[in-house]
Amino acid sequence: MIALRAARVRLGGHDVLHDIAFSAAAGEMVALCGPNGSGKSTLLRALAGLLPEGGAPDPRRVAYLPQGARCAWGMTVAEVAALGRIPHGDNDPAPVERALLACGLDGLRGQRVDRISGGQARRAMLARVLATDAQVLLLDEPTADLDPAAAHAIMALLRRIARQGGCVLVVLHALDLALRYADRVVVLQAGRIVADAPPDAVLAAAAAAFGLPWGVDPSPRLLPPGP
Amino acid sequence: MIRALAAAVLLAVMAPQPGGAARVVSLNLCADDYLLLLAPGQAVAVSVLAADPALSVVAAAARRVAAVRADAEAVLALHPDLVLAGPYGAQTTLALLERRGMRVERLGLPQDFPAIAAETRRVAALLGEAARGEALLADMRARLDAVTQRRPQRVVFLEARGYVAGPDSLAGAVLRAAGFRPAGPAGQPGLETLAAHPPDLLVTATAPDYPAMATDLLRHPALAGIPRREVAPALLVCGGPWTAQAVTVLAR
Amino acid sequence: MTRWLSLAVAVLFVASLLTGAAGVGVPDPLILWQIRLPRAALALLVGGGLGLSGAVLQGALRNPLADPGLLGIGGCAALGAVVAFYWGLSAVFAPALPLAGLAGAALGCAFLLAFAGRAASGPSLILAGVALSALAAALLALALTLAPNPFALAEVTFWLMGGLEDRTLTHLLLAAGPIVLGCGVLLALGRGLDGLALGEEVAASLGVPVRRTLRLAAAGVALAVGAGAAVAGGIGFVGLVVPHLLRPAMGERPSALLAPSLLGGAALLLAADLLARTAPLLLPLQQEPRLGVLTALLGAPFLVRIARRVAPGGAG
Repeated sequence: MIALRAARVRLGGHDVLHDIAFSAAAGEMVALCGPNGSGKSTLLRALAGLLPEGGAPDPRRVAYLPQGARCAWGMTVAEVAALGRIPHGDNDPAPVERALLACGLDGLRGQRVDRISGGQARRAMLARVLATDAQVLLLDEPTADLDPAAAHAIMALLRRIARQGGCVLVVLHALDLALRYADRVVVLQAGRIVADAPPDAVLAAAAAAFGLPWGVDPSPRLLPPGP
Repeated sequence: MIRALAAAVLLAVMAPQPGGAARVVSLNLCADDYLLLLAPGQAVAVSVLAADPALSVVAAAARRVAAVRADAEAVLALHPDLVLAGPYGAQTTLALLERRGMRVERLGLPQDFPAIAAETRRVAALLGEAARGEALLADMRARLDAVTQRRPQRVVFLEARGYVAGPDSLAGAVLRAAGFRPAGPAGQPGLETLAAHPPDLLVTATAPDYPAMATDLLRHPALAGIPRREVAPALLVCGGPWTAQAVTVLAR
Repeated sequence: MTRWLSLAVAVLFVASLLTGAAGVGVPDPLILWQIRLPRAALALLVGGGLGLSGAVLQGALRNPLADPGLLGIGGCAALGAVVAFYWGLSAVFAPALPLAGLAGAALGCAFLLAFAGRAASGPSLILAGVALSALAAALLALALTLAPNPFALAEVTFWLMGGLEDRTLTHLLLAAGPIVLGCGVLLALGRGLDGLALGEEVAASLGVPVRRTLRLAAAGVALAVGAGAAVAGGIGFVGLVVPHLLRPAMGERPSALLAPSLLGGAALLLAADLLARTAPLLLPLQQEPRLGVLTALLGAPFLVRIARRVAPGGAG
C-alpha cells in the first residue's frame, strides 16, 4: 500500500535516514518508535512526500498529520474537519459528518478550535485527516499532550480504521500505546530500522539490537535497565 | 522683457565697479533677484535657486556668480560684509552669523506694488545703489500706467495644487493692475467648484520643464474649456519691480 | 452578508457620483464624467484591491497583522511611482506610472516572501515589514533630493498621505487593468489559503501547491496594491481593518473572507472619500482631509487592539 525503498535522507548537512526499506499494507496499524532524533518524523514526512527528493503521493490517498499541528485561525471544528476535502476539491458533507462522529465531536462542531481544550482541538485535527477518506493515514504523535483516556480513545479509533481496510502509520513516544494497539512496531535508532516485529516479539528484537542487559517479560511491559 | 533685464544685469556685472563696493552674500531667491538687479558687482554668492530660469528673474546672471547653500561655515568662508536673507528659513544659520557679528538683513515679502516700491528703495539704500533702484521703479510705474481701461473680467489666478490666489495676494495685485477682477476667496475651492462656476479667464504660471505634481491639476480635462493665459512663474515667485512685466503680459 | 456589502458599495458609489463641491444631485456632465466618476471608480477599485490584498496576505502568512501598508508593500509601490513621475517617465509613457508602482510592490513582495519561510506567523514578519517600510521611505526621500524638481520632496509629502482628488479618466484607465487583474488572481486562491491555515506542511500534504500559491498571492497583491498606490498615494490600514471587521460575521476560514473583503474595502474607501469630500463643506476646513490620514485614524487603534490579542510568537 505504501512503501519506501533504500531511502537516504540528508537534512541540515547530516544523514537523518540511512538505507531505509519500509512498507506497510492495507489493514495494518504500524507504530514507529525510537529515541529522539532517530528519524521517526523524517520517515513519516518522507512517506508523505514532503521531502524535496521524494515524489508526492496522491493527496486523496495519503493523509498526514504533523506533530503539534495548529490552526492559525479560530475556525469552527466543522470547518477544520471540512478542510480534509481539499484534495477532493468538493464540499461533500457526508465524509465530514462521519469524521466528526468518529472523533466524538458532534456536540462541538460549532465551537471555535481556539476556544476548546487541547485534546478536543487535537481530535478536530484528526477529524480533518479522517474526512479525506484516505487509504493511508500518517500521524505524528497524535496522542501527545492528551490525557490517558483520550489517548486510548484515539488509538482505538485508529485501530478500527485499520481494521476497516486503511493503512495507519503512527509515530509514538508512548511505547505502551504502541504495544497495545499496533499490529507491528518499527523501532528506529540513528536513522536505521533496528527492529520491525509484532508487539510481543519486538521487545526481544529491540533488546538484542540495543544490546540492553535486561530479560524480556512475556507480558508486554518494559522493565527498566539495572543501574 | 526678462531678456532685456538680463542683458542689463550682464552688462552691470561685467562693468568695473567704483571703489568701496561691499561683499554681499544672498541666501534667498528673492534677495538674489534684488541683489543681482541692483548691485551685481557686489554679489559674492547667491542661493542655489537663482540659476533656475523657472524661478529666478536673474538666472542668466546668477550663473556667473558662485552659488552657496545656507550653511554658516560656507558663508563665513566668503568673508561677506552683508548677508541678505528672506523673512523665513535658514534661521539657525542666520542666528549663528549674527552671533559672529555679521551684518544680516532680512527682506520682506511685498504683496502689492506700493510695498514693492518701498522694499526696492530699502534694499537699494542698503546696497548704496539708490539711483538704480529708482530706475527700476520708473520702469515699473511706466508699465503699470500703460494699462488701458477695459471691462473687468472675473479672473481666477490658479496656483500650484489648485490654490486660488486671494485678492490681497501678489497675484491679486497683478490681476487688479491688469484691469481684471480677481475672483476670491483665497484657498482651495476644488476642481468641481471651478468647473461648476468657471471664471471668464484662468491665469496660471507656466508649468516648469521638470515633472511637478503641483502643476498637474492645471492640465485636468475639466478645466480645458476655460480660456487661459500664462505668465512666467519667476515674475510672481518673488514680488519686485519685475512683477510689473506680468501686468504688461496680461493687459495685452 | 456579501449581498449587504454589495448593496453598500453600490449605494456609496452612487452617493459619490451625486455629492461634491458643486452640490448634491446630478451635476453637469463635465463634472460627472471628468471629476466625480474617476474619483468614485478609483475609490472602489483601490479600496477593493487593498481589502482583498489584506485578506490574502493574512491568509498566506497566517498572520492577523498582515496588511500591505504595514508590511511595506505600499511604501515600495510609492517609491516606484514617485521615481517614474519625477524623472519624467510617466510624462513620456503614461502606463509607466502604474507599472513602476507594480514593480516596486513586486520587489517588496519578493522580499517578504523570502523572509516568510522562516517566521511568517510571528511578530518578526511585521518587524520585517516595518524595516521594509523604513527602507522604502528613506530611498524615496533620497531619490527626491536628487530629482530635477527642487520642490519634489515637499510636494510628494502631501501625495504620500493618500488622496483621490483631481484624478482623471486617464488615471482610472491606467489603474483599473492591473487592479482588476490582481483581484482576479487573488480571488482564485481561496482553496490554497484554507489549506495554509493548518501550516505549510499540512497544506502540501493536502495537495495545495504551496510555493505557487504564495507566488500568486505575491503577484496579485503587487498588481492590486502597486497600481493603486501609483494613483492614490499612500493609503494604509484598509487591508488590516476590513478582514477583521468581517471575521465575526463570515467566520475565520480564509476563503470565506476574500470576496467580502474586496467589497468591504471598496465600501470603506468610498465612505472615507465621501467623508473627505464633504468635510470641507460642513466644517471650516481649508482643504480636504487626506484619505490616508482618515484610514490611519480608523486603523491605528484597530492595530493596537488586534496586536494586544495576538499571542507572542504565534497567530492569535
